Amino acid sequence: MSLSVERGEFLAILGENGAGKTTLFRAILRLLPDLEGTVRVLGRTIKTPEDGNWVRSQAGYVPQNRDGGRLPISVFDAVMLGRWGKSFAYLRRPTRHDREITSSILDIMGLQGMSFKDCRSLSGGQSQRVLIARALVREPSILLLDEPTTYLDNSSKQMLEQLIGQIRNKLSLTVLMISHDAEYALRMADRVVRLQCGHIEKRLEAVS
Amino acid sequence: MSISEYFQYPVFQRAFIAAVVAGGTISLLGVVIIMLNLTTIRFALMHVALLGGAVGLAVGAEPLVGAFLAIITGSLLLGPFSSRLSLDTGITGAFFMTGSIALAFLLFYKAGVPALDVFSLFTGGILSLGPGDLWAIFALGSVILIVYACLFREMQLVFYDPGQAEWLGVPVQKIKNGLLFLTGLSIGIAMKIVGALLIDALILLPAMTAMGLSRSLLQILLLSSVLGMATAAGGLLLSMIFDLPTGATITLVGVSFLGLSMLFRRL
Repeated sequence: MSLSVERGEFLAILGENGAGKTTLFRAILRLLPDLEGTVRVLGRTIKTPEDGNWVRSQAGYVPQNRDGGRLPISVFDAVMLGRWGKSFAYLRRPTRHDREITSSILDIMGLQGMSFKDCRSLSGGQSQRVLIARALVREPSILLLDEPTTYLDNSSKQMLEQLIGQIRNKLSLTVLMISHDAEYALRMADRVVRLQCGHIEKRLEAVS
Repeated sequence: MSISEYFQYPVFQRAFIAAVVAGGTISLLGVVIIMLNLTTIRFALMHVALLGGAVGLAVGAEPLVGAFLAIITGSLLLGPFSSRLSLDTGITGAFFMTGSIALAFLLFYKAGVPALDVFSLFTGGILSLGPGDLWAIFALGSVILIVYACLFREMQLVFYDPGQAEWLGVPVQKIKNGLLFLTGLSIGIAMKIVGALLIDALILLPAMTAMGLSRSLLQILLLSSVLGMATAAGGLLLSMIFDLPTGATITLVGVSFLGLSMLFRRL
């Protein structure tokens, strides 16, 4: 499979379960060390563990929405943890910059009012916004969205669509989005591809 | 005899200090056990220790050494065993637990190992601690505090979202295995010092109580530690005042705190 994405482009990836969509994301983030082939991100070939750390420092990854864990954690802390490995880890504590960037991302995502709220008590739409904020707090160049609308109702989907459009323009992001929803993908993305068994089956033109 | 008079005896002084230090630090391990769903693993480690004690007696060695070595080996193996075979820790725990107890009983029968000598490994007593035991508790408590201080954010990530922790580059499996080893090491040291019943009271009850009342990992850890100290030291004092068995009284204090917290959450 050969696939390239332009800087600033919004690419949507469609495909059935098991088509290799999430594997593609894992390959980009070098979470598959035995991978054959070449992955290049922002001009750098991703091969060694150091390349892996570098690509993960450039990327924000939003996994599929999930049930909150058992740990009580505030929205602010959950989002700030996204900075791990960027400026704090192990004995290093979060800096003032970590806190400032967390606050500004919470603001952009409309979450400032619920900074101290326990993540376990959030609605599906709010949890999704927290996951996106957690990815954005890394100040990424690339945003990887893995089925961001799976558990959302229609109004939350619409809100998310607007939000992603806004942050993409504001932060000049390259966006890759996995989706099952072809209509949604065609509406949001610049380009849409459909994967089947690890191969690009079809390239679709986006509505926009 | 009044409480102040008890404090004039070195045995009681040591017991009280041990209760405060062990209660304040061993209770922190309960948070890991609950968050990572390691309750069965903890049981399994106790049974592995029983097997180690039986093997020690069968080969003519000190049973405590056998139990300690077995628990260390078990805690080093259980984590990688679960992750390599992609098995739930509950299943791995059940495998080791039942296998160990079956092998131990075979040894009791075939090698003529006196079962009661092995089971006595689990009946330590906080009122019979020597200065060496106290130093062992201090050393263990210090290791636990240092590990938790160094890995606080990483633990927060692993407990909150292990998937995210993994892609951020946190060595999730290594941290889990390390914490499991620390738990095993602590059980191994504390088992003989305070007894098996008390280990459970100190490890699990304060953490369970704290988890229901806290809003962050830091609060859980601080509250677990304070409750652990209150449970162990309070239970020790109550057992003296009312002339009750120490281990059982400490456990009942822990259970009371947990019961009260459940009541508090319902109101």
